[in-house]
Amino acid sequence: MSNKNSRKTRTNPWSYRDGTIVTVAILSLGFAIQAASGGIVIRIAGFPWNLVAGLIFLAILLSAFVLWRKHRAMKWLGSVKAALPAILGFTFLVLLMGFVKQDVEPKNALSRLFGLTHLIKTWPFILINLYLLILLGIATLKRLTPFNLKNTGFFLNHFGLFLVLFSTALGSSDMQRLSMNCYKNQDVNLAVDASGKSVEMPFTVKLLNFTIDEFRPKVTIIETKTGQPFSEKVKERFELMDRDSFNISGFRINVVKFLENSGKVGDSFEAWNEPGSAPSAKVRVTNLTNHSEISGWICSGSFANPAQVLELNDQLSLAMLPAEPRKFSSELDIQAKNGKRVATTIEVNHPFKMDGWMIYQQGYNTEMGRWSNLNVLELVRDPWLPIVYLGIFLMMAGAGFLFFTGKPKNGGTNHVA
Amino acid sequence: MEGLIMWLDFPVYASAAILCWLAASGLFLTSGKKLMNQMAAGLSAAGTTFLLVFIVILWIHIQRPPMRTLGETRLWYAIFISAIGLASYLRWKYKWLVSYSLGLAMVFLIINLQHPETYDKTLMPALQSPWFIPHVIVYIFAYAMLGASSLVALRNLFFVPTEKTIQGAIQMADNLVYLGFSFLTLGLLFGALWAKEAWGHYWTWDPKETWAFITWMFYLVYIHYRFRHPSEHKKAMAILTASFAILLICWFGVNYLPSAENSVHVYSE
Ligand code: HEM
Repeated sequence: MSNKNSRKTRTNPWSYRDGTIVTVAILSLGFAIQAASGGIVIRIAGFPWNLVAGLIFLAILLSAFVLWRKHRAMKWLGSVKAALPAILGFTFLVLLMGFVKQDVEPKNALSRLFGLTHLIKTWPFILINLYLLILLGIATLKRLTPFNLKNTGFFLNHFGLFLVLFSTALGSSDMQRLSMNCYKNQDVNLAVDASGKSVEMPFTVKLLNFTIDEFRPKVTIIETKTGQPFSEKVKERFELMDRDSFNISGFRINVVKFLENSGKVGDSFEAWNEPGSAPSAKVRVTNLTNHSEISGWICSGSFANPAQVLELNDQLSLAMLPAEPRKFSSELDIQAKNGKRVATTIEVNHPFKMDGWMIYQQGYNTEMGRWSNLNVLELVRDPWLPIVYLGIFLMMAGAGFLFFTGKPKNGGTNHVA
Repeated sequence: MEGLIMWLDFPVYASAAILCWLAASGLFLTSGKKLMNQMAAGLSAAGTTFLLVFIVILWIHIQRPPMRTLGETRLWYAIFISAIGLASYLRWKYKWLVSYSLGLAMVFLIINLQHPETYDKTLMPALQSPWFIPHVIVYIFAYAMLGASSLVALRNLFFVPTEKTIQGAIQMADNLVYLGFSFLTLGLLFGALWAKEAWGHYWTWDPKETWAFITWMFYLVYIHYRFRHPSEHKKAMAILTASFAILLICWFGVNYLPSAENSVHVYSE
């Protein structure tokens, strides 16, 4: 790969030029295989084949380094000259991902052919990852031998990233993400994966109780005819009903009575706590321009009851929006096959760990809101996670090194073998 | 609502800050006297303090960390970039840098004055996490430092420096990038740990995540390039400027990209 016209390549045959050529070749090869395989989305083999492949990769990397560490090509693989084009090549793919919407049906033949809508499952992505792993592995080994404390930061950053890339790539096929529909007081031990296949879990889950805490609802002024918000300005569109009086779009609202759970009785609302009850409020509205006053009820409505708006004049009405959840949580009774039994409460951001599975609060029947009798749990198993986390923690420590030591004064090359 | 009432006070605090900063920049740029510089530093700190007071009161009133809307992040940005401008002045004595930083901070305040948004109190459950504050603060810190580093870059690109002056300036750019990049890395990793808690997976290539990653990659390129090419200043500064452009896309632009419909990260109105 030498080029007689270039002074740089003659003095150093393993240069940026070669780095660029290799990176471009890898990407082109990747896209070619992708196109040739008819746009099929790849899956890496699952356990134990991924583990075997990973170990073989590590063994080859290590022995190649030991055998040929003095070779120019090996030195080049551990150098910035190879690293920079590779990082840029990877950035190129990620940029594609940044512009093309992912995980949707491809819109045109081109994206279907090259898998542009599922880039992380395509050949170019996997090959460039593999290449980066090789470069990172060799750069790490190069700096590790002979060992020098000054290389700690380098080691933490590069080996940390190596672990993260390595374990996410190999672990992707062992990761299971399932969702489980639970109805109140029913034992469930089947969950479904993304393709709709049922999977039997090593435990049964029973939903004891599901609760939603809600914020107070917001009110808005709408055009009665269209139901569209009246104010063009986002700033003035909504007001949270968390005080007794406030202004909105030229009207003053006084909340005379607020009912968290209510139902309509005749022309007014009364406290009522059954499925389908909804928040409502009796309000007095003053038009701030002509000081006319109107009183009446508004209600956000629910699956069982229609919403109630208050007409303010011949064009505008005051409406209450459905309350937004502050928190939803489920009380679960979990019974493992081995006899272990636990009662726990999970909520968003507070999952529960059980026999290698994380149980997340995912969703509920939003139409029924608070009265939902369906609760959707997400079950995730990711046996490679500890290695990913190890990598993440190494990188965090590495970030600490970057912060405290900063850029090496001499350009940093003097402790480089 | 109270949060909104607070924001009605915003022009008062913002104008106070802007006046302090204009005065500080004026003093910094025109006077060489030590006393005047100290006064300028004091004024610049006073401006930042006005905003800090505002954001603390706002925080108390809306009962959630004010880190959700674009307007709120801009406010933090103005606070941090002005504070870092001052800190870097105290450490490195670059007067132009502190004035640039204050200028940039003022731009953010002015954007906020012209585009007030709703600042409603509801925060969806996924955002109610102990990770929320560290994640956002760390990012804003990173953005502020990287923003400052790009100011150095732009200055070096446009005002041709002498061989003597460039050494200090480029060292400053490097320092800011290393500090900023370490925070950027932490932000990315905190985000991953949080996502695992909230959504079951640490990385989903959501558009915002993708752009944050692209930003990170660009600064990674800068660090590696500088490491082996310590004397190619012009190119390094060009990379730094491009990186900042990417950072701005990540921050403002993602919301408008077609790939970002339904992103969990797109700031709500
Ligand atoms: C994406 C894959 C990466 C590759 C292929 C790579 C490769 C390299 C190489 C070859 C060097 C020069 C080493 C030498 O000449 O001995 C280097 C230096 C450096 N890399 Fe990376 N790197 C990568 C990612 C990272 C990451 C994620 C970080 C930080 C979080 C990082 C931070 C650094 C730093 C700070 C240096 C300067 C060395 C020093 O200060 O000791 N690199 N990298």
